[in-house]
Amino acid sequence: MKKANILLVDDDEIYIYLTKRLLNDISEEIAVSSFTDGEQAIDFIKACTSEKVELPDVILLDVNMPFLDGWGFLLEFKKLKSKLEDKVHIYLVTSSELDDDKKRAKDFEELTGYYVKPISEKDLIEILEEVYKDI
Amino acid sequence: MWRKIFKIVILLYLPLVGLTFILIHLQKKGQIEGLAQVEKRGAEYKKNYLSDLCYSLVYNTQYWCSIQYPVDFDPLDSHSEFISPFLETITGISDYDQFRFLDMNGKEFFRYERENREVMIVGELQDKSKRDYVKKGLALKKGEIYLSPINLNQENGIFERPFKPVIRGVGPIYNSLGEQIGIVVINFKMSRIFKLLKSRITDSDFYLVDSNLNIVTSNTRSLDLGYEIAELIDTGSETYTLDIAGLKSNKDTTFIENGSMWTLKKLDLRKMLDTEIAKYSRSFEVLTPTSWAIVQEISPKTLRAKFGLLYKNFAIFNFFGIIASILIAYGYVRSKMRRQQFYVQLKDKNTSLLEGKKQLELNNIQINEINERLQIRNKQLEEFNYVVSHNLRSPVTSMAVIVDMIKKENEPEKIKILIPKLDQISKSISNLTEDIKEYITILDQNEILIESIHIQDLIESIKNEFLETLLDGENFKVIYDLKGWDTIDFSKFYLKSILQNFMSNSIKYRRNDVKESHIIFESKFEEGKKVLYVKDNGLGINMEHHGKSIFKLYKRFHRNISGKGMGLFLIKSQLEALNAKISVESVEGEGTTFKIKF
Repeated sequence: MKKANILLVDDDEIYIYLTKRLLNDISEEIAVSSFTDGEQAIDFIKACTSEKVELPDVILLDVNMPFLDGWGFLLEFKKLKSKLEDKVHIYLVTSSELDDDKKRAKDFEELTGYYVKPISEKDLIEILEEVYKDI
Repeated sequence: MWRKIFKIVILLYLPLVGLTFILIHLQKKGQIEGLAQVEKRGAEYKKNYLSDLCYSLVYNTQYWCSIQYPVDFDPLDSHSEFISPFLETITGISDYDQFRFLDMNGKEFFRYERENREVMIVGELQDKSKRDYVKKGLALKKGEIYLSPINLNQENGIFERPFKPVIRGVGPIYNSLGEQIGIVVINFKMSRIFKLLKSRITDSDFYLVDSNLNIVTSNTRSLDLGYEIAELIDTGSETYTLDIAGLKSNKDTTFIENGSMWTLKKLDLRKMLDTEIAKYSRSFEVLTPTSWAIVQEISPKTLRAKFGLLYKNFAIFNFFGIIASILIAYGYVRSKMRRQQFYVQLKDKNTSLLEGKKQLELNNIQINEINERLQIRNKQLEEFNYVVSHNLRSPVTSMAVIVDMIKKENEPEKIKILIPKLDQISKSISNLTEDIKEYITILDQNEILIESIHIQDLIESIKNEFLETLLDGENFKVIYDLKGWDTIDFSKFYLKSILQNFMSNSIKYRRNDVKESHIIFESKFEEGKKVLYVKDNGLGINMEHHGKSIFKLYKRFHRNISGKGMGLFLIKSQLEALNAKISVESVEGEGTTFKIKF
């Protein structure tokens, strides 16, 4: 099985810490990187693409972030999609349970799933199983 | 109202009364013409009657002239037998009052006069040579008859009493040798003829007048030929000459004078007798000076009686005309008043309907305003919900996770690492609570002090707060274009905070690649509402990324520039609290324009 490579995009540093810790608990083999806003994450993906660096398999994306929020990230990602060699599984992880966000999420085919915070160990295992079974 | 009715009655009645006058005049004229026709026929009848009678007198006279008397004719003596049979006939003709023979000297040589109705006697002979009729008779030629004017009979120069109107027929008489021996004079009594003439055929009074309008006989006068004896007797108030101007022309006419209707029919006795003679194919000629006229008078009383019905009808017609005019005028005025009343009521109703409509429109406006406010309120609640669910839920859930971890963790070292995280979360929750409190304060502000604000003064005062930045060698200008309006009723506290935020953002997010950074305040009127544009030439915002979330809490669009992401969120909340709206247009790298619609 391929070594898991996960990117966390969230402005809540506590959340990043906790999620990293949960992933580490699941497997120390999982590579986890993180950014605190969408703009940094997009820049990173662009860099990976241009420098032929391996892209993360999974992105856990927050909605409400400064500079470029989750939706802005998805719009930019859509533009880059054609240039990407590997499939990136993006999961929207948000504290919001609002219907508007859920509806809007459906408009993006780039999204693989939608989770409400707090994301649990069980949720993460589910995501990993789903993604890496494909791979 | 009655004045109006009176006016209409006058307007209606005047033409009506004019029309009735014309009608009555025409009808009266027609009636007069009808009466005149009747009168003319009456006069014609009497004329013919008189003509017949006079012819009979003439013919009688002519008869005595046609006899061949004996030579040396002496009826009183030698020829009494000759005359005797004639006398019986004469006595039988009651119209004969006197029958006389006069010699060529005008002296009577036979006189036979009526004693009474059945008896005539031989009278005492008189010399009549001075009498006019004798003179005229002696001048007659053979075949000529003289008919004298009608006179009251005189004997020996004295009027015979009782007064006796007579007419004399005179003709020459001849003996068997054809020698004229004298004249025959017959006094015909006119009383019977007058009586017949005076009989009423029509309603009119009858007059037989001579050419001087002297009344020969009339059924209105007690005496015949009264003008002959007017000086001899007291005739009282009766006059025997007709003093009527219309009659003086002595032509056939019909006219109204002194209230009476007069008809004159002229009689030319000689012409009339000629006609009669011709009718009977006789061969003698009549000489007579008589020129009569038949005058008929319909008295004013009779005329009034004739026209009475006409006047009565006129009065009745006018009476009903007035009543009808009053009723029509009353009905018209009433209906006009009702119509006016109806129009007034209609106008009132229209006015109240219009007022109702206006009130409804006002209510609608108010309802729309309330609706708008409710919608804004709903959006604010949604915003609040969004803030809570995104910004508050996140640290709370993180805290729950950490607490759960601590519970499960057995290693004290690892727990130690987690504790500062909890502190971090606590601080972020505390900060968020403070920010939400500020937001709630705006939402819950029920009584916001509204005052008239001079916009330029306010901007000037804010500008002073940023004076340090503006004077610090920075090329930043505050520009006004406040031609549209310069004062606004709003919360001074909110507007100051709003404009402070705009100015702060424009300074904070200015570009370094421009010669001069600026913020422009521009006031305008759009669709009757006050609008304030706030434009800058700063960094601008990527509308594709942030268009939907520009005014949301904790939104930051530019890295490396400190900021909390509260400014635009508070601006929108404060504006919406006072029913104002904000929208934005921006091009990244060019600048941003905010539009506030008050």
